[in-house]
Amino acid sequence: MSVVNYGTREITCKIVYYGPGRSGKTTNLQHIYSKLPEERKGKMVSLATDTDRTLFFDFLPLDLGTISGFATRFQLYTVPGQVYYAATRRLVLQGVDGVVFVADSQSRQLAENIESLQDLHANLAEEGLDPRTLPLVMQYNKRDLPAGEISPIEELDETLNFRDVPYFSATAVNGGGVFETLRSVASLVLSRLSAPAVGES
Amino acid sequence: MAKESSKQDPEEEKGGEFDDFMADISQEIAQRVESLDTKPKAKPQPEERKKTPAVLEAGVIVDWPNIAERMIEEMR
Repeated sequence: MSVVNYGTREITCKIVYYGPGRSGKTTNLQHIYSKLPEERKGKMVSLATDTDRTLFFDFLPLDLGTISGFATRFQLYTVPGQVYYAATRRLVLQGVDGVVFVADSQSRQLAENIESLQDLHANLAEEGLDPRTLPLVMQYNKRDLPAGEISPIEELDETLNFRDVPYFSATAVNGGGVFETLRSVASLVLSRLSAPAVGES
Repeated sequence: MAKESSKQDPEEEKGGEFDDFMADISQEIAQRVESLDTKPKAKPQPEERKKTPAVLEAGVIVDWPNIAERMIEEMR
């Protein structure tokens, strides 16, 4: 859980990119990583198979430096989208502060998007997190594909975004909408930051 | 609430995206930290009163035991 730690002067937040396989979660992180100034570039850990599918998860530590006297770190994760990696997804969701749901805009992927969203809710509930209140942002990716292949934004939003959370159209492969999405989820997470109880550090 | 992403010139955009993000986030964090900093300050122990205020980074004073000491320090 994200906490403002006045003792150690630290803020740490964990954000997870969730969604069906091949929706563009890793591509989001890769774009963010590519835009980091050299001095802030840590290591992006990406565990992928030979066929370029995320096998376990991606991890991108985002060290934002000292802001208002607090060392601020965002930890960005992706989950493996494939159905059979359910255990890994649950593991990655532990302690999550905010979720970006990366949906594949292709019409033929609608069922996979719905299944993944249901999986997210089930896993959050299993982790004791309330899927109705956890900071969540929807990203409708691959908007650069031909119009005939993708669902209209309105249709996707009506089907997937029943919480009416912020949503973004994106073409993560060339960076479109990636930082807008990150900024939005970061803002939601920060709005829920809590100070440690009195007596703690 | 939808935000259509508008692509800029790639050269112009390079590095700028992260800077914009940092600017927004910094402002947000500053507001949050300020609004949360309501923890009651414990009365400093006598030995703490004599300590020099902790300075974690140049120019940022993070902890002054009491306002009188700060005023004296600033008047020096």
